Amino acid sequence: MMAWSTHDPTTKRLFFLFGLWLVVIVISSLLSPHFLQASTIPFLLQYVPIIGLLGIGQTLVILSGGPGIDLSVGAMLSLVGLAVGWLFTLGVDIYAACLLGILFGAMLGAVNGVLINWIGIPSLMATLATLFAYSGLALALTGGTPIGGLPDHFTWLGQGQIWLIPNHFLLVFVPVAIILHVVLTYMRVGRHIYAAGNDERAAHLIGIRVRRLRTGLYILSGVLAALAAIMNLSWFQAARPDAGIGMELLSITVAVLGGTYIFGGQGRIAGTVLAIMIVTTLQVGLQLANVSQAWQLGVIGVLLIGSVGINTLLGRQSLGQSLGRLMGQAK
Amino acid sequence: MTSLSRFARDAQRELILVLAILMICALFASQSEFFLTERNLTTVLRRSVDLAIIGAGMTLVIMSGGIDVSVGGILAVSAIFIGRAFEADLPAPIVVIIGVSVGTLLGLMNGAICAKAKVPPIIATLGSMYVFIAVLYLVIGGTWISGLPDTLSFLTRGDVAGIPVGVFIIAAVYGFCWILLHRQPWGRHLCAIGNDEGAARLVGIPVDRVKMQAYALLGLLAGLAAVLYVARLRNVEVNIGTNVALEAIAATILGGANIRGGVGSLIGTLLGVVFIKLMQNGLVLIGVSSLWEGVVIGGLLVVVLSIDALQSRYRYGRSL
Repeated sequence: MMAWSTHDPTTKRLFFLFGLWLVVIVISSLLSPHFLQASTIPFLLQYVPIIGLLGIGQTLVILSGGPGIDLSVGAMLSLVGLAVGWLFTLGVDIYAACLLGILFGAMLGAVNGVLINWIGIPSLMATLATLFAYSGLALALTGGTPIGGLPDHFTWLGQGQIWLIPNHFLLVFVPVAIILHVVLTYMRVGRHIYAAGNDERAAHLIGIRVRRLRTGLYILSGVLAALAAIMNLSWFQAARPDAGIGMELLSITVAVLGGTYIFGGQGRIAGTVLAIMIVTTLQVGLQLANVSQAWQLGVIGVLLIGSVGINTLLGRQSLGQSLGRLMGQAK
Repeated sequence: MTSLSRFARDAQRELILVLAILMICALFASQSEFFLTERNLTTVLRRSVDLAIIGAGMTLVIMSGGIDVSVGGILAVSAIFIGRAFEADLPAPIVVIIGVSVGTLLGLMNGAICAKAKVPPIIATLGSMYVFIAVLYLVIGGTWISGLPDTLSFLTRGDVAGIPVGVFIIAAVYGFCWILLHRQPWGRHLCAIGNDEGAARLVGIPVDRVKMQAYALLGLLAGLAAVLYVARLRNVEVNIGTNVALEAIAATILGGANIRGGVGSLIGTLLGVVFIKLMQNGLVLIGVSSLWEGVVIGGLLVVVLSIDALQSRYRYGRSL
């Protein structure tokens, strides 16, 4: 299933992504003389972890098939951030509040997992509904005003650096990405995720508890969104009810651009990480070149559509046949 | 089986929705004496027209097994073209034609990406939504297109024989879609594609063409909604159309359409739109902040989807 050779489409994908990243770097340095400087590195890496964790969660949810998707990651980020900020204003220690926030994220993810896997709502609709509900809750409970006044010592995570590397990149994003990569590639659970994504019937018959596995991944997506919320909170020192708006789209973009097959069963953490680097480099490059934010949105949209088209071009004939399965195959 | 009980079975979802609408009406009326006034209800009606006509198109697209989350973007881009056309002093009929054709073209583009490039509809329309928002920002930036002429105001504020023009627009759109769906081979083809695309292709239905037509029709209706939007507010601002797609999908699902395709009801969607709009209006009138809208619609969707899912599991058994 996962032969490590250049004949393997997912390996080809990694080379392609790396090439694309180099192209983006070249274009960015042509656009702005400020891009190719050491000071760009922390600036660039500062943006990576938040969208990175959401993208990795999205990758795992999509990978396990179903077909699975989590549109509510951005809304979970907003809601957990507010919950942590609110707990702190109640007098809870900030680190205890963060732990409770992670638990809360797990709970929000569990709601998604149960709705999709145990009640049987198609993932697209279930998470669309929770996207409404969570982001609505975030807005309604705060009346739209941000929660501020977090302690100064809490900024070490989101604003601190070690040798040009932001702390939250080094201490949260890199470990999480490595651990999940190892789990996915070398451990039994990882094999089960690929099996469930490739053929859920077969996976079920050999004794994999597919529904429990997928529910777990939705919970993981919630936990990663909570971690992202905490990093966001530490960076901006305030919890905004609209902090995660649009992030669901970005997280799907990096997962799909990274080579995750939208119906599950194929994809790698490494691909997603490369895709995150591409998207972030693009954003930072355009920002340094003083190009309007709108262009970034437009380019990301084209990347999203194009990356699926490229999947088709890179020799996956089954995509055409399985069109429409995104909405669910059980008729 | 008597015809009455057959009607009750076939129109179960619509009957439930009518009951639900009556119930929330009773609830809101008991809390606010202003709710059941003619003035309030006509206001709600006039503001529902955009969502209602987009809902009709969304029903067709969802029945074909697709989805379009970019309708808000189509509405926004069409509105920009309408605004610019107005600023160029073009006559009103030309402006309407421009708005509707822009919408149709954008919808057709979505359809082509889904049908020809084989990109799953959710991905394709998410991507085009980004592009449409980008266009919106690039063209109008942080400013508004405002102070547009009121030559089209009769579309939203006018009455014919005491009935708001919007009613006729809704009737025309739903009548047209109903005929397409129930009196034309096209509707059969659409249902067949939504039920089993492979089989539809094998029996010779032009699958790609029908799908593209469904998306183009949705785009056309979004363009029409943009005309009504500009006619009503006489400006174009940056956050135009943000919630339209989600509300239209919610109304369609409330109305009994199956997100997996093949099943849907235009009347159900219309009732879903009425329900959502009355809910939004009533909540504000009884003093609940409009910020709760998202929670209410989301919660409602969860409940309806859960009931649907549990029902179909009861009927067809569990898959895993």
